[in-house]
Parts: sequence; structure tokens; C-alpha cells
Amino acid sequence: MNWFDQIHHIGPAFALLLGAGVVMGADLVRPGRAPILSLTLLSLLAGFAWAIWQVLAGTNGPAISGAVVVDEFALFFTFLLIGVTAAVVIVTAEGLSRAEPRPEFFALLLTAAGSMVLLAQAQDLIAIFVFLETTSVSQFVLAGIARDDRSSEAGLKYLLAGAVAAAVLLYGFAFLFGLSGTTSLDGIATFVSSNAGGTELALVFGFVLVAAGLGFKMSIAPFQAWVPDVYEGAPTTVTSFLSVASKAAGFAVALRLFYTGLGGADTFIAEHWAALFAVLAGASMTFGNAAAILQTNVKRLLAYSSIAQAGNVAVGLAAVAASGAAGPSAVLFFLATYAATNLGAFFCVIVVSERIGSERLADYAGLIRRSPAVAVVLLLCLLSLTGIPPTAGFLAKLYVFNSAVQTGIDWMVILVAVAVLNSAVSAFYYLRWARTMVLDDPVDETPFRATAPVQGLLGLAAFGVLFFGLAPSSLLQAAQRAAANLL
Amino acid sequence: MILGTVPEAVVWAIYLAPVASFVVIAALSRTARFQGTSEYAGRITIAAIGIAWLASLWALDSAIGNDGESLAFAPHTWATLFDLNVTVGVHLDGLSGIMVFVVTSVSLLVQIYSVGYMEGDRGVSRYFASMSLFTAAMLGLVLSSSLLQLFVHWELVGLASYLLIGFWFDRPPAAAAAKKAFIVTRFGDFAFLLAVVLIWSKTGLLDIAAINDLAVAGGIGAAVLTGFTLGLFSGAIGKSAQFPLHIWLPDAMEGPTPVSALIHAATMVVAGVYLIARFFPSFEAAPAQILDLVAYTGGFTALLAASLGIVQTDIKRVLAYSTISQIGYMVMALGVFGFVAAIFHLFTHAFFKALLFLGAGSVNHATGTFDMRRMGGLRGYMPITYWTFVIASLSLAGVFPLAGFWSKDEILLDAWKYEKPLFVVGALVAGMTALYMFRAIFMTFWGEYQGGEGSDDEHAEVHGEPHESPRSMALPLLILAVPAVIAGFFNLGGGFSHLVEGALPDELRHGPPDIYGGIVAVSLVMAFGGIGAAAAIYHAGRPSAADVRAKLGPLPRVVEAKYYLDFIAETLIVRWILNGVIQRAAQLVDTYIIDFAVDQFAESVRRAGDAMRRVEAGYVQGYTSLFLAGVVIAVVVIAVLGTGVLER
Repeated sequence: MNWFDQIHHIGPAFALLLGAGVVMGADLVRPGRAPILSLTLLSLLAGFAWAIWQVLAGTNGPAISGAVVVDEFALFFTFLLIGVTAAVVIVTAEGLSRAEPRPEFFALLLTAAGSMVLLAQAQDLIAIFVFLETTSVSQFVLAGIARDDRSSEAGLKYLLAGAVAAAVLLYGFAFLFGLSGTTSLDGIATFVSSNAGGTELALVFGFVLVAAGLGFKMSIAPFQAWVPDVYEGAPTTVTSFLSVASKAAGFAVALRLFYTGLGGADTFIAEHWAALFAVLAGASMTFGNAAAILQTNVKRLLAYSSIAQAGNVAVGLAAVAASGAAGPSAVLFFLATYAATNLGAFFCVIVVSERIGSERLADYAGLIRRSPAVAVVLLLCLLSLTGIPPTAGFLAKLYVFNSAVQTGIDWMVILVAVAVLNSAVSAFYYLRWARTMVLDDPVDETPFRATAPVQGLLGLAAFGVLFFGLAPSSLLQAAQRAAANLL
Repeated sequence: MILGTVPEAVVWAIYLAPVASFVVIAALSRTARFQGTSEYAGRITIAAIGIAWLASLWALDSAIGNDGESLAFAPHTWATLFDLNVTVGVHLDGLSGIMVFVVTSVSLLVQIYSVGYMEGDRGVSRYFASMSLFTAAMLGLVLSSSLLQLFVHWELVGLASYLLIGFWFDRPPAAAAAKKAFIVTRFGDFAFLLAVVLIWSKTGLLDIAAINDLAVAGGIGAAVLTGFTLGLFSGAIGKSAQFPLHIWLPDAMEGPTPVSALIHAATMVVAGVYLIARFFPSFEAAPAQILDLVAYTGGFTALLAASLGIVQTDIKRVLAYSTISQIGYMVMALGVFGFVAAIFHLFTHAFFKALLFLGAGSVNHATGTFDMRRMGGLRGYMPITYWTFVIASLSLAGVFPLAGFWSKDEILLDAWKYEKPLFVVGALVAGMTALYMFRAIFMTFWGEYQGGEGSDDEHAEVHGEPHESPRSMALPLLILAVPAVIAGFFNLGGGFSHLVEGALPDELRHGPPDIYGGIVAVSLVMAFGGIGAAAAIYHAGRPSAADVRAKLGPLPRVVEAKYYLDFIAETLIVRWILNGVIQRAAQLVDTYIIDFAVDQFAESVRRAGDAMRRVEAGYVQGYTSLFLAGVVIAVVVIAVLGTGVLER
């Protein structure tokens, strides 16, 4: 494999990371006058085009000494992450939130996105850790970028919580490496399957530590304590990125780690995996929903909602005993539809808080009369988060829950029962918000609208929410092919 | 069969026409051109439901032509989620054919009536949008081929009901009633949802016909079937306002009266009856105690609600308790294998009860009150309302040969055959029904006019002399009076039985009903006895109401306090459990877990001067210990649960 082939295998990430350098460089060369936004979008476009190229050229298999791999699983996340990043870039460029559209912001966003793409490709403990940290560090800075107290506080908290999580994760990796003598996921899988006597306890302990470290990224309970403060304090554009991209990357690593690194559903570790994530899933959604009901600030509400939603996704992680790739494909489908839904909701919040200067739920009263377009998109997103047909969120939940039900195991069915009851509870706060927008009288009748690019994005989110709800087959097939790669 | 077999697209049109009406009104009401005008909303709704009504006639005709058996419309795959094929489809047989006919007919008339009734209200387009949404959801519910589809529409009718009960949400009682209805029915819906998960996980099926077939074939274990049918029945108890979840329905009368007529009398509240009927093969296959439970719940509710109906002074509440009581009748019928009798009573009841509610609305339009003590003497002022109200009451009381007589007789017959104590209950309820209805008639239409108006005026305008309602309101009254008289004749030759029994497998069919002279006699004696008692007490005044009350001792007070059931439910369930335990628990979580780890630290960081030292002191202790506690929790989870969990 020549050097270009190596690069080609990490092409999309390469384009993004190179773009980050170019953006910073351009600002050095022509301070304040460089076409930062165009360069950022160009770099994302290049990454996207390169991913298409990989698809068309049928690029497949490992590269860089087996540290990364190109497969449909990685490509699924590549497209998802590039799409999410592009949306966040466009909203940021409108200068709507406290994050000013400065070059370092875009460079950090590109770095984070590029590392996440690599993370979805990573096949090796060291690569996973390095890319995870690059992702994290970029996001710590992004959370604290707004140069006000709330943002600095969020950045600092995120940094410190993240440092603990990273330490725990690394400790877990040390166990896996120490036992198996290799950092490659395939090698570890071979070791786990061979089931060398006497190492089981240590392996399980290592796995628990890794699960905790990843639980931080996925924001599932009890590793979610940082979420509300960071989500509330960070500029909303950053929050939207964290809630969607960072979480998706966390789940990508978790899936890869289990199915490739721990030998999948056939090893003894599968039982521990299923038990742990089932309990954490139930805890996340119950805690997230109970706390969300009490919120009066929409960003905090969405923060707790994202913990609850992470619990829903984790049901798919727990469903390892389901036939075929049912569990993982459900996770992928959920993450993709959740990206459209949650970005849509956050962008609406961004528009509203910029126009009316408030993040209070009560100030959404009569939004439908003041800004019908924004209100309708937000309404759709809330319906999707609740899981009401015909939105994508309904199918996503059904798919995840079905993967657990199909295992036929009694306590998995109980988990699904807990999950559907939780969905019913979540309707209280999602629909209360919807009701406030539609039925209540606005205090101030001044109409407003989003700028054209943001309106385009909102339209796109609404389209995604409805399209993947009504005609899901293309996305379902993509998710199923990508998940089949893991097995 | 008059027309050819109905194409599937036409059946879909029954459902999609009101969906379209909802979407169009919701979209138009925000455009500048239609802002402030409202006539268009009523017209669109009436046109859409008119289309649905015509299509439902065709569908019913085809169902009749097919002997009530299911027309083979293959469900459409919506999404393939690995092993699960999520399908949507329309299921048309005698049962759903009758249901779509009832729903579209009553809805159409109620919409026409609403144009006059709601005139001048500032929320008219929201009103008609919600009504369209409700009608669509209700039609979707009865046409669903899959349990999932049915459940979704089940929730949607609940949502529409919530929106319409709370239509005048700036009035505190209306907002409270909407909330109460939503929360109370939620208890039933939780159980329903668990039933869906149970059957889905144990059989992998969501198709209604497939579940029933499997149950009849004995392919579902008794325990699963028990859990499943109990869950469905719980859903029915909530939605159909059966004891002990009946408490929401009387309060729901805070909604506009046409809403009460459509949703809380004729259609949504009988969805529970429809649900049991739809899954009747599963209920029959389940252990026999399930149907006994159904029967006695229904019988008890019928008796309880009828006794409450006698002491109401608000005409709509009389009708609300009457509805609960009559649905109890239907549920009781299902429990004593009276599948046909239940649906037949649902069918006749829909017309005469909708008529009664619209009559009550007409009376309110004239007098500005629902309080019967402020009415009186209205028969001279509003003859159409009076006569149609009397016809409907006679029908409800079960007087030969009106519609209610025939359907009530079938229920009594089935009760006599299978469960004699319930026959006694049924006969008692029949007498009480006649009593409270004619009490209402004498108080409202006879005697002297008491001046009207009150705090519950739905039209905040000054009322002078009572007057007959406008034509758009009188016309639906006259039209509904026709089926209130003749709807009972449809089963004289067993035609109705044949039609709806097509929905059941052969071995569960009973064939056309018999008529036992003795039962007819008992039912007529009870009806006329009730009417006579009402005339004696509330018209002639011999004995006077006060005398009767005095003779009964403390009983009237207990009944007037609704047997303290509302008090118990509100104090115990809502205040203690909901507000108390759950909210308290949530607050504890908020205070102790979130605050402990986060807010406490947030405070320390906000004092940013000596930030780093404090961060080291507070943050790392709080967050880190929480994170590490999480790791410990994870280890414990694994240790406790980590082996054997993947065994089936």
C-alpha cells in the first residue's frame, strides 16, 4: 500500500483536518479578511466528496498499520458527521449565538469533526484514545469559546469531567492491553474468544472502566452529570454539536469496541455488556425524563432530554442477543434521525433566543403566531423526540425497542416496557412545550423570521424528520448494511 | 349490495379526508387571507366529513355484501425493521363498517350543528381543526389493521379530546377538566401500552387479525393472554369511562356541547367497547374470569352511574352519567357474550345520545345555562328541541318500538342467558334510566320558565326570551331523531347480527337474537315505572322531591357526593401519588443528585476570582466522586446481573 493509498483511506478526515489548518493559516496571512466560511465549507465539501470517492472506488479494509479501517460503518458516520458539522457551521456563520464566527471556532469544529470521523474508523485502542482526546479537547475549547462566565464555566467543567473520564477509559484500555498483549481490536477479540483461563474477572473490570469512559461521551447515566451545565452554559451552536455529533461518535466507538474488539455476541462478555447497558439505559431515560419535567429553561430541558434519548439508544446497545445486526442498525438509524431532529430543535432555540433574548419555556408562548415557520419546525422536532408517527423519531424508537424485544429475553422485554412508559412520560414535557407555542397567547406579538440560510436548514431538518418517518427504507438499508459490517 | 366492491383507495379516503381537512385548516388559519374569518373552517370540515360519510356508505355496503367478513386488503409495509414488518392497512369488515358509518354520520351532523353553535367564537378555526383531527383519528382507530396503528390513533383521539375539552382553556374549570381527562385516561393507556409490548414480544405479531387467529387456535399461553386482555381492558376502562376511571367524563362536559355530543357520547368513549369487540376472539380464548371481570365491571358501572344521574342538576352532567351508564351496559353485554348486543347498543346509543346532547346545547343556546333548576317551561318556546329530546329520551329509556328498546332488550337477554345477577342489574338500570331522563325533561321543558342564564354560559351574551335555535342547529336534531326511532329495526331479521358477526370466526357466532316475552315485559315495566316515578315526583309533586329525599335518609347525600369517589381519586391518586410521591421523588433527584454534584459546584466556580483553587476543591470532589461512584455502580450491576442474563 503506497502512501497515497494510506491517505486515501483516511481521506475525508484528512480533508477536514487539513481544512482546519488552512482556515487558521488563512487568518494569519490576511487577518480578519480571509474567506473563512468559504474555506470551512470547502473543506467539508472536500471531505464529503472524498467519502463519495471512497464509496465509488469501493475502498475497503484497514490502513495505517491496521489503526483505521474503511467500511460502510465508518462511512455511515462520516456522512452523518460531515452533514451535522456543515449545518452547525452555517448556523454559526449567521452569528446568532454567543459563539462568534471567528476562524478559531471553525478550525476547532473541523478538528473535532475530523477526529470523530477517524474515531468511527479506528480499529486500535491507541488510535481510539488519541482521536477521542483530539475530539474532546477541541470540544472543551468550543464549549468555553464565548468569553463570558457561563461559557468559561461550561468549558472548564467539561474539561475536568472529561479528564476523569479519559483517565478511567485509559485505565480500562490498560487492562485490555495488559491481558491480551495487543492494542488492535481484532487481536483483543481473538484473545477474548480464546477465553484464556483466569483472566475473565480482569477483562470484565477493564470492560466496565471502558464502558464508563464511553458513557461520558454517550451521556448516559450515571456518567451524565456534566451534561446539563455544559449544555446550558456553552454557546447553543456548540451545544447542538455536542448533543448530536459527540454523542454519535461515542456510540460509534462503543459499537465498534463491542462487536469487533470484544468478540461480539458470542463471548462471555456479551452477558455483562447486555446487563450493564440495559440497566444504564433504563436509568438514563428515567432520570433524564424525571428531571426534564421540572425544567423551565429550554436548553436545560433539551439537555435532560438528550440524556433520556441516549438511554433509548443504549437499549440498542443492550440488545446484543438480537439476531443479526438488529441492535447496531437500530442504533445507527436512531442516531441519524436524532441528528436531524435534535439539530432542528436546537436551531429553533437559537433563532428564538437571538430574537427574543430568552431561553425560558414560558417565553415560547404563542410562537406560532410570531414565527409560524420556526414554530412548525420545532413542533415537528418535538413530535419526533416524543416518538409520534409519522415522524422519524417514532420509527427510530420502534426500531430500537424492537431489537430488544426480538431477543425474546424476559428482562429485555421489561426494559422495553420501562422504555415505552418513559416515552409516555416524556410526552408531558415535549407536548407541554408544543402546547405553549400553539395555544398560549404571546406576550409580545412582534413577528420575526429566521435568516434565509437558517430557514433552509430548518426546512431541511423538518424534511428529514418527515421523510425518514414516511419513507425510511433508504436510511434503514444504509444503517443495516453499515451494521452488518460489524458482525 | 348496491354498489360494486369498494376499492381500497375509497376506504383510505374515509380516513384521509378529515386528515386533509385538519391540515388545510391548520395551514390556512395562519395565512393573512383567512385571519379573522371563520366560515371557511366549518365549510372545509363539513365537506371533508361529507366525503368520508359517502365513502363510508360505500364501505358499509361492501361489508354487507361480503356478509360482514373482512375484505382482503393486504396491509402495506411501512418499514422493515429487521424481523419486524411495520405495516399499515385498513381493515374493513362488518364491525368496522358499522363503526365508520356511525362515526362519519354523527360527526357530519355535529359539524353542521357546530356552525351555528360556535358562531362568533374567536377560536372557530381551531375548533374545526381539532374536530377534523378527532374525526380522522377516530376513523383511523376503527379501520386499523395493526395493533400499533390502533394504539397510535387511540392516543390521537385522546389528544384531540384533551384539546377540545380544554377548548376554552382560559376558563379554569375547562383547563382543569382537560388535564383530568388526560391524566386519568393515562392510567388505562399505560396498561394498554404494556399489553402491546407483551403481545409483540411473546408472539412477534402486531396484526390484529393474526393475533386473534393465534389466540383462537390456542397458540398463546394463558398467562400471556390474560395479561394481554387485561391490558386492553384497562385501556378500555380509561377511554370508555368505566369504574374506577369514570371520574373524568362528567368533568369533560366543560368542553363545547357539540364536542360532548360527538366525542363524549357517540364515538370516542365507545372506543373501549370497540377495542374489546375487535379483540373479542382473544377475550373468549382467555381464561373465563376475564370476561366475568368485564361483565361485572360494566354492570357495576352502569348501576353506579345511573344512580349518580338521578341527582344531577346540570343537564349535561345527567347526560354524562347516562353515557357512562350506557357504556357500562355495553361492556356488560360483551362480558356475557353479547358481542352483537353490545355493538347494536353502541349503534343505537350513538344516535339518540348525540341527539340528547345537541338538544342540551340547543337549550343552552336559548337560556344561557345548563342548570335545569333555571330552566322549565321550555317546550312552548322551542318545540323542535323539545320533541326531539323526548323522542331520544323515550328511545334511551327503552320504550317500544324506539331504537333503544331493541338494543337494550338484546343485552338483557344475553345477561339472562349467561349471568342472571347481571340481568337484575340491567333491569334496575333500565328503570333508573327512564327516571333520570324524564326527571330532566320535566325540569327542563315543563313547569314555569325560571329565567335561565348562569355562570356556565357558553355564549356570553344577554339572553331575553328563550327562542328556538337557528336552522343549522335544528336540522341535525330532526335528522338524528330518525335513527333514534328506527335504528332498532335493523336487527329485526337478524341482519345487523349477521353483519357484525362476520368479524368473528365461525365458531364464536351466535346467529340472530331471539325475543323472550318475559324479558320484554320486564324491560317495559321498568321503563314505564321510571317514567311514572319521574312524572309523579317532578311533575305532579306527589310525593315531592323533598319528601322522597327525607325518606331515603343519608343516601342522597352520599350519592350527591359521587360516593366520594372523585374525592378519593383526587386526593389519593392525584394529590398524594402524582403530586406527592412522584413529584417529590423528582424533586429529590433534582435537589440531591443534581444539586449535590452540579449546582453546589457551579456556585463555587461562579466566584471566579479564586477559581482554580475552588475548582480543585469543589469540582473534582463533586464530579469526580460522582463519576467514580458511577463506575462502582456499573461494577455492582455487572456483579449482580452479569451472568445468565442472555438465557431465554
